[in-house]
Amino acid sequence: MGDIAVRAEGLGKRYLLGERLPYRTLRDSLARAARVPFRALTVRRREAPSQGLPASPRYLWALREVSLEVKRGEAVAIVGRNGSGKSTLLKLLARITEPTQGWAEVQGRVGALLEVGTGFHPELTGRENIFLNGVILGLNRAEIRRRFDEIVAFSELEKFLDTPVKHYSSGMYVRLAFSVAAHFVPDVLLLDEVFAVGDHAFRQKCHHRLRETLQAGTTVLLVTHDPAVAEQWCSRAVWLEGGQVRADGPSASVVQAYVASQE
Amino acid sequence: MGKTDAQFETRTSSVLRLNRRETLVVRIQPSRRWGFPSLGEIWHYRELLYFLVWRDVKVRYKQTVLGAAWAVLQPFLTMVVFSLFFGRFAGIPSGELPYPVFSYVGLLPWTLFSQGINQAGNSLAASAHLVTKVYFPRLLIPLAAVLALVVDFAIAFGVLLGMMLYYRIVPTSAVLWFPGFFLLALLTTLAVGLWLAALNAQYRDVRYVVPFLTQLWLFATPVIYPSFLLQGVWRVLLGLNPMTTVVEGMRWALLGVGAPPGRMVWASVGVVALLLITGLLYFRHTERTLADVV
Repeated sequence: MGDIAVRAEGLGKRYLLGERLPYRTLRDSLARAARVPFRALTVRRREAPSQGLPASPRYLWALREVSLEVKRGEAVAIVGRNGSGKSTLLKLLARITEPTQGWAEVQGRVGALLEVGTGFHPELTGRENIFLNGVILGLNRAEIRRRFDEIVAFSELEKFLDTPVKHYSSGMYVRLAFSVAAHFVPDVLLLDEVFAVGDHAFRQKCHHRLRETLQAGTTVLLVTHDPAVAEQWCSRAVWLEGGQVRADGPSASVVQAYVASQE
Repeated sequence: MGKTDAQFETRTSSVLRLNRRETLVVRIQPSRRWGFPSLGEIWHYRELLYFLVWRDVKVRYKQTVLGAAWAVLQPFLTMVVFSLFFGRFAGIPSGELPYPVFSYVGLLPWTLFSQGINQAGNSLAASAHLVTKVYFPRLLIPLAAVLALVVDFAIAFGVLLGMMLYYRIVPTSAVLWFPGFFLLALLTTLAVGLWLAALNAQYRDVRYVVPFLTQLWLFATPVIYPSFLLQGVWRVLLGLNPMTTVVEGMRWALLGVGAPPGRMVWASVGVVALLLITGLLYFRHTERTLADVV
């Protein structure tokens, strides 16, 4: 793949609308299975005159025919409205869910920060959660141990290291979570708007860290609503709409076009 | 300033080293509908497995007054109740063994099994927050749930040793077979647990089925009674239950009484293999869409 860190070809994700419900009951599934032979007889007769397309099951293409290439070390903002497929794209690249069609290749270690503090357990102490969260993010124990002091210093929570996280204030919780995340330097970083945390000073620190990460050559894909954030951090932006790429280019112009379409 | 530069240096070098170590390219595409989870990948993620087990062990008895004593109390109190009602009042025979040891040695793997399928069954649904945020082989979740119970087993096992001392029971050379039966217990638990976990991720009915299932399964396993009470076709049916082999096998291996489970072992191994293979297939099938449905 050479210089390309992320490549996607015709990537698509289709959801069966029913699948997005919290869960199905066994009774529903059995009932549906039992109805299949009958539906073949009845549905066609009833629906044929109305639309031509069967009304159900309904599919939703959260992402369709998305192709893009991201060079190593590049920082790309993914902008778009709610439901435009931004998060789905990130989830596909992070392998959290599988594409329905197309393919993608990602080179090197992938870090997905779709939220901070993934896997934090309230009963465990700050110290224990640093290890647990670090391993979940993809660090190994030696790496965490090596960066442990740095992580703790960054969080400014030295005094509360052996307190269960459930006794933390929400600000402390986020600070610890972000500190672990900030010390994880993958080859490809997938970020989902996890910036706005903590007070002003802590935010400054986080921004400083992100800048360092970018300088270290990490490829970043950043999902955001915020045009200012996109322009500040990324030289390039991809604008998704209805699950498809509407525009792809220098962030200044793409973001401008996106903002213009919102008004 | 100088400090920041130094940090930056170390970070950069570690990134480069990672690149050299894992120049792997991950390909993301629709997978086949049916297949097996990759064992190589499980191995790759062994450290995460370790931490998931560690978390479960640490958290299980947090904020309980008795702590890890629960691991002993559950099988022990059950044994006391069983000894009283089944051993004394109902007069169920226990062969050459005192009823308390007879039932306790059965309760050890039984507790592992019943808690294991319960925990593993709930594990995926309970880890929805992980499954929807980060990638790793999902098999680690039920696997960790089962492995975490091995610690409880080990603690409760200590009490068995005490009871053997009290009743002056000396194990024979059959004790060498114990690891085999223990492994069979783990695999049985895992096989059933995988099925339940995958089903429960989609159908939350499962959580109501599991307590009922464990209750029935207990009666189909010679924990309370010895299997020699059953004859003919019932005996064969009992043999198809792998937990029968586990319980009787452990009794024989640890306490040196009764006959070694003969052909029954192969029937049990066959059943477990079947459950495990289908369980892995079904689990992998569910894993593909897990983040969308859980």
